[in-house]
Amino acid sequence: MLALKMLLRSWRGGQLGLIFSALVLAVAVVTSVALLAERVERALVKESSSFLAADLVVSSSQATDAEWLQRAEQQSIRTAQIASFASMTFAGDEMHLASIKAVESSYPLRGAVKRSTVPFATDESDIETVESGPKPGELWVDSRLLPLLNIELGDTVDVGDGSFQVSHILIEEPDSGSSFSAYGARILMNWSDLPASGVIQPGSRVSYRFLIAAAEDNTDKFDDYVDWLNQQLDVHDRIITPDEAQASIASTMDKGRRFLLLAGSIGVVLAGIALALASHHFANGQLLQVALFKSWGISANRVRKLYIQQIVLLAIGGSLMGLLIGWGFHQLLVSAVREWLPIALPMAGARPWITGFATGILCLIGFTLPALWHLPTQSPLAVLRRDTQVKSLNSLIRGSLGVLTVAMLLFWYSENFYLSMAILLGFAITALASIGVGIVLLRLGKTYGHWMGSIWRLALSNLWRRKKPSLIQMVGFSGAIALLMIMTVVRTSLVDEWRWQLAEDAPNHFLVNVAAYELEGVKNLVDQRELETAGWYSMVRGRITHLNNQLPSEVAKDGHESLRRELNLSWTSDLPEGNKIIQGQWWGTGNESSNNLAPVSLEEELLHELGLAIGDTVTFSVGGLSFDAVITSTRSLNWDSMTPNFYFLFPEGYLEDYPRTHMTSLYIPSEDKLLVNDLLRKYPTVQVIELDKIIDRIRSIVSQVTRGLEMITLLILGCGILVMFAAVSLSMNERLQESAILRTLGSSRRLILGVQWVEFTTLGVMAGFLAALGAEFAVAMLQRFMFSLPFMWHSWLWIAGPLGGGLLVGLLGVVYSRKAVTQPPLRVLNSL
Amino acid sequence: MIEVSNISKQVTSSEGTLRILEQINLSLEAGESLAIIGPSGSGKSTLLGILAGLDVPTSGTVSIDGENITAMDEEGRAAVRAGHVGFVFQSFHLLPGLTALENVALPLELQGMADALQTARAYLERVGLGERVSHYPRQLSGGEQQRVALARAFACRPAILFADEPTGNLDTGTGKKINDLLFELNAEEGTTLILVTHEKTLAERCNRRLELQAGRQLESLSGISA
Repeated sequence: MLALKMLLRSWRGGQLGLIFSALVLAVAVVTSVALLAERVERALVKESSSFLAADLVVSSSQATDAEWLQRAEQQSIRTAQIASFASMTFAGDEMHLASIKAVESSYPLRGAVKRSTVPFATDESDIETVESGPKPGELWVDSRLLPLLNIELGDTVDVGDGSFQVSHILIEEPDSGSSFSAYGARILMNWSDLPASGVIQPGSRVSYRFLIAAAEDNTDKFDDYVDWLNQQLDVHDRIITPDEAQASIASTMDKGRRFLLLAGSIGVVLAGIALALASHHFANGQLLQVALFKSWGISANRVRKLYIQQIVLLAIGGSLMGLLIGWGFHQLLVSAVREWLPIALPMAGARPWITGFATGILCLIGFTLPALWHLPTQSPLAVLRRDTQVKSLNSLIRGSLGVLTVAMLLFWYSENFYLSMAILLGFAITALASIGVGIVLLRLGKTYGHWMGSIWRLALSNLWRRKKPSLIQMVGFSGAIALLMIMTVVRTSLVDEWRWQLAEDAPNHFLVNVAAYELEGVKNLVDQRELETAGWYSMVRGRITHLNNQLPSEVAKDGHESLRRELNLSWTSDLPEGNKIIQGQWWGTGNESSNNLAPVSLEEELLHELGLAIGDTVTFSVGGLSFDAVITSTRSLNWDSMTPNFYFLFPEGYLEDYPRTHMTSLYIPSEDKLLVNDLLRKYPTVQVIELDKIIDRIRSIVSQVTRGLEMITLLILGCGILVMFAAVSLSMNERLQESAILRTLGSSRRLILGVQWVEFTTLGVMAGFLAALGAEFAVAMLQRFMFSLPFMWHSWLWIAGPLGGGLLVGLLGVVYSRKAVTQPPLRVLNSL
Repeated sequence: MIEVSNISKQVTSSEGTLRILEQINLSLEAGESLAIIGPSGSGKSTLLGILAGLDVPTSGTVSIDGENITAMDEEGRAAVRAGHVGFVFQSFHLLPGLTALENVALPLELQGMADALQTARAYLERVGLGERVSHYPRQLSGGEQQRVALARAFACRPAILFADEPTGNLDTGTGKKINDLLFELNAEEGTTLILVTHEKTLAERCNRRLELQAGRQLESLSGISA
């Protein structure tokens, strides 16, 4: 095949090197990022599923519909039912209001349950991991139930009408954070024991969970079932996805994934620019060949066909090579983060491969084809006359095609409008400014260069004389620098934001339900171990009875948990750290209690979920006493802060007379973990919420993600350098020719290299300055719409941009043009 | 073989209309050789381009083998060039990325010739470069490069060979050798040769001559019709 032969010859002649590298790099970047993103996402879903004990959960105030179960069985969907409720438990004379979770034998569908035969076990060797719950007749209980009921393992505990044997200590179940009430010792029992216990009666407050999971290789049926299930839900039911189950990890991973996409998208745009520049260069080199073809009587159509065939072959070859390198690089990334990975990464599906391959094809169609489009129109007369001009495709059309390609790639790749728009607009601003401001700056340089030394004068007038390639180069340089800046800024702010999560002493335990008489004792225990708390908060347990003096409807009650259960009400004079007023005003302004109602500050989202507004009244019942409060402000909370957060906050002086308990959060290092056991033995009613395992997990994931980001950043930097190379090589032949002629005329090495240095450094400084402009804009957009980070002015961009740009571009230019002074001028001229 | 009737070429620019060629007439039989001579800027290369179908005259007709190529569109002229025409250029126009062999084989490959490489090798041997087939143009001297260009032109077995100052870039000694080779191959292949030259000696080797001055045919076609 002639096209293949021509392609191979061009490859051998070195004309395709840059196009091919840009193409391979584009495909490799996209493939490696897409592979990694998909594998991490799959791992995350799997990991989160274990937090949920299922792939998906329907939480409801009603028992699972029989039809749901029947249909699930028909479609081979795995299911488990859970009922959670509070019930009084008895052993001898002791009793305790326990949090009971009755689970079917198939529970858990994902993840595993940890149990032990040693109360308060912390040693891993005492802990057993099993993939099922208790057998009928058995109870697995929280360690603290033993001192509370004064029993030992093997003893019998009564739940309702039934008597059950305590067979194991419950250490941890996968969905431990989800359905249990924060109070009362936890008990896990078998679902089939529920009728015998008779604890669930009409009107009982029970929350049901319907767990479903796909059987192996049955994801299609699972998706169909979930679609069907979604249509069956009513106001009582709420779907919980794995993401929601682990919001904190999911948000870290999501931001990490978005950054991967951002980096990948920037990689694609960079490779696109490199490809466009390289194609432009390649097309110029093909003019003689096409003129010869035409003089030999080859028709324009045949020429076009030959080049299209070559592009297709190049696309296939480059894309395949890119896929291979992308796979290799993703393996490298995976192996670099493997030691931090808590779980094995599942294999990726076909999508990343398709994405990578399609990127290659699309890049060549969008960037290379338009650059070569005019070749067949080359006049055969060019073989006789050097002055024949070939009209290349209108640069507006070419630019639009390039932008369209980039836009398509960005949208398709990131599936994110804001990300695509930010990058596109950032780049467009940079490119337009490069052209507009560039012309002015070049003109100024030419005008005022006369006042400077000979090197400057020559260099600046050269830039003006070559203004078209100079501007194309400047677009390339500034685009590349802007994109690298965008990536660096976003990466830095993400890593900064995560730093707290990586802080060694972030609180990892909550102590809740500490009675007033226990407070001193608990404080002493904590002090003895020299641990620091995040401060003690008092709280009162209260229930919402009326909203705006009306009883909440049954639908509203079913729809929102906070109307069904007791809430923690707290008070403070100062706005707690991490809280931000969204609407209204914090107390202290004197206008909050004009109508003798207690002012209350409500969490912003809850306000909307309950359909309330500033100025509405909420009636609370606390220990049988009722009082009204008026909503004076709403707050956003930082749920990731690991400090106590409250939906309802009052000023001092309203709740102090009600029975209250206390809570705090603190960091307990693993060597002091026994404090928890001491505390629970001594104060069994205190609830300890242990988050250390979750925090460790977040920390490990964050460090993985950060490390992954560093590696991707390096890869993208590689893309940026490639663009610089492509841009520098654009005018190189002409420059070398001029330099060789100057050399022949006896110009010094200093003059020749000096001129190149000044030309490229000037271009680099201008490009760096313009890049800062585009980057600042794009980053502002990204931070606002994609990463929810506050806007910040990045003054360092305006310094680092021109400085770095000048240095890098100047250096590249001089290295590239060194040939002009190291080789005899005749050899340089002959080689062009 | 070639019939040229009253061709003129004008170019319009901002400075007015420039007459490059005026009322050129000539007729050439197969196997004849024609030298177009004249000072720089007299329109020699323009005439050559028009004769070869690379350019079109403002008026007048050119017929090759009875086909009026001036009435054709570019595609039609391309088809005529493909069937009849070969070129040798002053600056050789070898493709720098291809070896000597590949440079010669390329037009043959474009014609779809199955044994393009063998044919190319045979022609390179005929021009005395059998040992240098795998050299790139930059590794060859000027004379050698022009020999490769000759091999490339003759390998296509054109009915008419157009040569634009074929020795203009070579020293006298090398130029003479190239000229010898050109005429030798021309005689062997029975090609009609039309060349543009400054060199009197070269012009004299052609059996017909056309002298141009400022775009005008200075005198009627001289020389002996073959």
